[in-house]
Amino acid sequence: MSSMRANQLKTGVFVLYKDQPHVVVKCEFYFPGKGSAFARTKMKNVKTGNVYEYTFKSAEMVETVDVDTVELQYLYSDSDIFYFMNPRTYDQFEVAKELFEGKDKYLLPEMKMFVSFYENKPIGVRFPLKVTVKVTEAQEASAGNTVNAPKKPVTIETGVEIMVPLFVKQGETIIVDTETDEYVSRA
Amino acid sequence: MRVKTFQQLKQNPEKFRPYWVREAVIDTIRAFFKKEGFHEVEVPLLLPTPSTEPFLEVFQTELKDDQGKKWQAFLPSSPEFALKKLLSAGSGSIFTITKSFRNGEGHSSRHNPEFTILEWYTTPGDYMTVAGEFERLMQEILYRARPCKLGSSLIYQEKEYSLKTPWERISVTEAFQKYAGIDTETMLDEQKLRIKGAEKGYQVNETTTWEEIWNQIMANEIEPNLGVGGPTIIYDFPVAQAALAKKAKDPRFAQRWEVYLAGYELGNCFSELTDWREQEARCKADLLERKKLGKTEFPMDTDFIDALKMGMPETGGIAVGVDRLAAIFADVPSIQDVLFFPSEEMYNTKI
Repeated sequence: MSSMRANQLKTGVFVLYKDQPHVVVKCEFYFPGKGSAFARTKMKNVKTGNVYEYTFKSAEMVETVDVDTVELQYLYSDSDIFYFMNPRTYDQFEVAKELFEGKDKYLLPEMKMFVSFYENKPIGVRFPLKVTVKVTEAQEASAGNTVNAPKKPVTIETGVEIMVPLFVKQGETIIVDTETDEYVSRA
Repeated sequence: MRVKTFQQLKQNPEKFRPYWVREAVIDTIRAFFKKEGFHEVEVPLLLPTPSTEPFLEVFQTELKDDQGKKWQAFLPSSPEFALKKLLSAGSGSIFTITKSFRNGEGHSSRHNPEFTILEWYTTPGDYMTVAGEFERLMQEILYRARPCKLGSSLIYQEKEYSLKTPWERISVTEAFQKYAGIDTETMLDEQKLRIKGAEKGYQVNETTTWEEIWNQIMANEIEPNLGVGGPTIIYDFPVAQAALAKKAKDPRFAQRWEVYLAGYELGNCFSELTDWREQEARCKADLLERKKLGKTEFPMDTDFIDALKMGMPETGGIAVGVDRLAAIFADVPSIQDVLFFPSEEMYNTKI
């Protein structure tokens, strides 16, 4: 078992809180100004999914959970279960939908990402910050309303609608930020 | 490389919106105080010595002349000492909207090393005079700066907050009792609070201080209950938590309040300490504490003490984070969303 100072906690770190494994989903420096510094965190119990907020003293030692993190390749999904494969061992794993936190809408076959395991069960997914996707449906830009919002909706190959600049055409490949769901650039 | 704010603005002109709300918030603040008869003053951003708050780390630089002679120089962590010199000089009620700087802070949606601070000082007045002014100021901003109006309520991140006056007021004593089940005697006693803290599951060891336990209880058990349906003023802090405030009726407490709204600490107010002897003693103690904490050391601002010797009038004063205020009224999740050039973006330190 290892530990780290609370002020080094980051999103995605696995810690032991009240004897239960939790993943840090948010961590912020917090400073009352008239006192010492703190680390304000939001943690999710990886077994129950319950979320807790807790403020640690900055210098406090927090026990971390040993997790195995492996790069896996996405294969296919079946309702709310997503199947991944370890490209080296060909072992297959089931990853639950909630671990994607809504980003499963960007999943494409063969996409690779790091998955963390605790007691041989997937407990966290590090989804790529940016994905390269094909535009499958796009209207030609209309002349109106180009001053205030020079954007139009297009559909990408995963079926999601994204707002893009007017020059983007059907069949083109674009880069999308999976955190903000925003168009970044043409690929 | 992340897309910078100015590039995002080019791509999405609608992203200018929160910045223009910020502009309107600042315009409203200025108009409000002018109407209330305050003078607006400017304070220096380059100082031979900054104010003494023990926990704040400062930015240090150097002033040089053409002969190569050098002097220590600092960026202010708050405009407080400069404003109190003017109050002692007889300025009457004053306000400033200025930049302040705090070093050594971690990543947070509530902090930027360089931030905009509003301070105002009402004289004659005390901390409760300022509470009334803050209530009126917020009504005015709600009325003038908010893009969509909804009576006396404000929507922040899909939650509704009523700014109807008077706002909820709760003393620190009541709050510790109500939300943490801690009585006054336990709260103020280091040994008792250590035991209580450990019972509650907080990490307490030989180096843990009263202040750390107190603030950790405040952060975990009390703050989540403040500013929930509307602003909450929490008042009368233990003397140890109010270095620049006058003592309250119960001398174990000082006339200080903080106001919370929607998860933000928006302002910190005092009945200002006017006794120069007491102030000098507290500044000296602060500087010793800084040394102990390993913070940058600097001499005491003796001009500040000299100013108080001329006679500082009875004053209520407050510091308000303007970036936080703007974020709330613009309904954006972090103060970085109302800064064109957030530090973490310029320095590429965003996590």
